[in-house]
Amino acid sequence: MNKMKLFAGIIVFGSLWGFSECIIGSSLADAGLPTGAIMTGFFALTFLVMSRMFYRQPGMQLGMGIVAGGLRLFNPFVACHICSALAIMAEGAIFELIWYKLSFDFKGMKTLTMQGSMGIISAYCVFVGGYVVTQVLTPIIAGSGFYLENLIVFMPRILSSGLLPALVGGFILPIILLAKNLDINISLKDRYYYPITAGISIFCWVFVIGNWFLLS
Amino acid sequence: MGKDKLIPIFAMIVLIIGISSAIYVHATMVNKDTITIQGEEYTIDQVFSIAQIRTIKTDEGEKTGVALDDLIKKIGFGCTSCHNYVFKGGDGYQQTISWDLMQKGVLTENRKIYFPDTAHALWVHDIVEIEVK
Repeated sequence: MNKMKLFAGIIVFGSLWGFSECIIGSSLADAGLPTGAIMTGFFALTFLVMSRMFYRQPGMQLGMGIVAGGLRLFNPFVACHICSALAIMAEGAIFELIWYKLSFDFKGMKTLTMQGSMGIISAYCVFVGGYVVTQVLTPIIAGSGFYLENLIVFMPRILSSGLLPALVGGFILPIILLAKNLDINISLKDRYYYPITAGISIFCWVFVIGNWFLLS
Repeated sequence: MGKDKLIPIFAMIVLIIGISSAIYVHATMVNKDTITIQGEEYTIDQVFSIAQIRTIKTDEGEKTGVALDDLIKKIGFGCTSCHNYVFKGGDGYQQTISWDLMQKGVLTENRKIYFPDTAHALWVHDIVEIEVK
């Protein structure tokens, strides 16, 4: 695949993920819904799996996490923005690791059991892994230092908080994989592909940053 | 054993870990109205009557509460800057705070600590214990 096309794909899917974290996640939090579980189990998993399905390129989800986390830094209005940005970046990397050995065409996931199981494992590990990474890195970045005992006593809470995203992921992955049958083709002509991806990405960034200026 | 058997087993293990952790968390949740500070129990009203009130600016607006450094001084620790302070929440979450940061922080009436210009990860809520280390 053309590297520019992949790069544009990373930017657009990462921007969509970041946009959903900032704007939709903010609304979910205001409504008192379990934001983390829905954002990881539904939105993150959807963007990560769909990008893998359409582009079939290693490293893409890692890049998406960096883009989405970067965008999250511009929206400091939901909970801890540094924590969330770090968690998102870690989630992209963890997803990449979990799916490293699995084929890009999803051939090994024909049965509903396999699909649901991968959804559970992916959503749980991505959520819990992101949570742990942010618990380690945020105090270091904040300058207060990392204390292992603080993480250890909180581990049961972190492990339990992954349960809901896991259940959402187990339900949502088989639905996402139905998109395989749609045979969506990303090999649009360049004159359409680049303006579309650039337009969506710019919209996401402008909306999030504009939201930041409006609220600050 | 192939992936088609291993992956469902891993998924089951993940669910078992999640469920058992949830049960453990629920069983060990601390629900109390007082705050333990070095073994002594204080109500939030007592805490407010002991120490000075301070208002700080955070990215979530102004927060008013008991000045953490003054609270520690009034409770009577010798060398306040020689220690770190562990703030523990009822849900098991805890953060270790240095004396430098304590001098900027507040404990509000709803038992949450805030610091200006810091990550929200340090803002422990539902404080049930303050331990001096």
